[in-house]
Amino acid sequence: MKLDLVHDIQAAYRKTLASMSRPGLIKNLRDQADKVAMEIDCFNSTLVLALMLFDTEVTFKICSEHEAEMAKLINQLTYAKATELESADYILILHDSKPGDLEKAFQMARSGDLLDPHKGATLIIETDVVCNDRNLTLKGPGIEKENYMDVTLTDQWVDWREEKNSEYPLGIDLIFTDRENNILCLPRTTQIIKQVVG
Amino acid sequence: MNIEYNFAFFDEGSKREIRRATLKAIAIPGYQVPFASREMPIARGWGTGGLQLTLSLVGKEDSLKVIDQGSDESVNAVNIKKLIVLTTGIGVTDETAEATIIQSRHRIPETPLQEDQILVLQVPIPEPLRYYEPSEYETKKLHAEHEYSGAWLMLFEQIVNYGAMSTGADHPVMVHSRYVMAPSPIPRFDNPKLNQNNALILLGAGREKKVYAVPPYTKVASLDFEDYPFRVETFQDKCCRLCGAKDVFLDELLNDITGEASYQCNDTSYCLQRMNGKSKG
Repeated sequence: MKLDLVHDIQAAYRKTLASMSRPGLIKNLRDQADKVAMEIDCFNSTLVLALMLFDTEVTFKICSEHEAEMAKLINQLTYAKATELESADYILILHDSKPGDLEKAFQMARSGDLLDPHKGATLIIETDVVCNDRNLTLKGPGIEKENYMDVTLTDQWVDWREEKNSEYPLGIDLIFTDRENNILCLPRTTQIIKQVVG
Repeated sequence: MNIEYNFAFFDEGSKREIRRATLKAIAIPGYQVPFASREMPIARGWGTGGLQLTLSLVGKEDSLKVIDQGSDESVNAVNIKKLIVLTTGIGVTDETAEATIIQSRHRIPETPLQEDQILVLQVPIPEPLRYYEPSEYETKKLHAEHEYSGAWLMLFEQIVNYGAMSTGADHPVMVHSRYVMAPSPIPRFDNPKLNQNNALILLGAGREKKVYAVPPYTKVASLDFEDYPFRVETFQDKCCRLCGAKDVFLDELLNDITGEASYQCNDTSYCLQRMNGKSKG
């Protein structure tokens, strides 16, 4: 069945909204992502997010081995314009990105200015597994006491994010997607505490 | 002539734009994110901000409740409901607990919200600093610099003039210890409900083209002074004349002939529910 650009995208949006307003809440986009009938170099859920949010007013950057093909495809599907890291509204870091790409994206991404903090970029990061294992503890708006999360990335991203978001309300927001089409959102307000081993 | 509208009235491009703004609004609680605010078939200032948010959210599975000043059946609520139902075919409900999306003008329902519900508030003037600063660029700068002495000064002047803070509704709040926000003209009685609420609260101002949000479990404090703490309206020794409810927001009804005042629940569906419960029991 084909992805319904009205109803499937609406359903995916409500899940994304729930996940963004309750950081650490994992939502699954399988029902929508399975309908993507295309051979693509990114997870289906990532493409669903792009179809949900991108249009001609949006700029994006893709970090991937297949950057050129993916940028062309997303441009053709959504009319969004590919640009550089420092000016992109959305940065897609795909599972086949180079090792240094994630750090560079965290460093270079636009974090808005005090007049317009909403112009901070959103990073969509593909990772093998997104789960609620108790590796990282989350606190902040949207979380009653604390939530837990883990992703298959080295924990260094937590430090990069903390540095980037150190001057709230400036900062970047993250959406993780995984191979099972799970998504987990981290708005800039969420504080992450690493589990201390010992 | 039968005009076929899109599902939820809007074209998908308009929904996308509102959705992008809403996600950013949640990421920066209390900050007013500008959005394009489309022309709607109701006049700006009559709930178009809330309506646009609702249309960007709504899906086939949703159950909608719309209230206007606590009433499910007043003109504004009825017309907004009609538009949404005609363009989506979804069901409407009066019962707060049954709704997945609750669009409201000037009240937060008495029945506590649940985690899976979204409250959409219609906002006429989203800028809490507009009272003393007419320039949008200047108020944006004041928010950027966390410069809110004017907001406190406004309340201080009220205390000097009247001996108490005299905000009837729309008493400014501090969200997540960063942004001063207009809670839409909800009565002071409803301000504490914003703090650490279970549900996501979205606020939309159509005429002023702003969307902002209070995520669940977010600290929202009404502005006040140590020696003049924030107080909600009191209805001490009064109760609803129909259902007998206490500790709810009551409307005062004056009898023109006798001059006598009586009180009634402002939230009509809450009142009805209590009365139905009584008659069953």
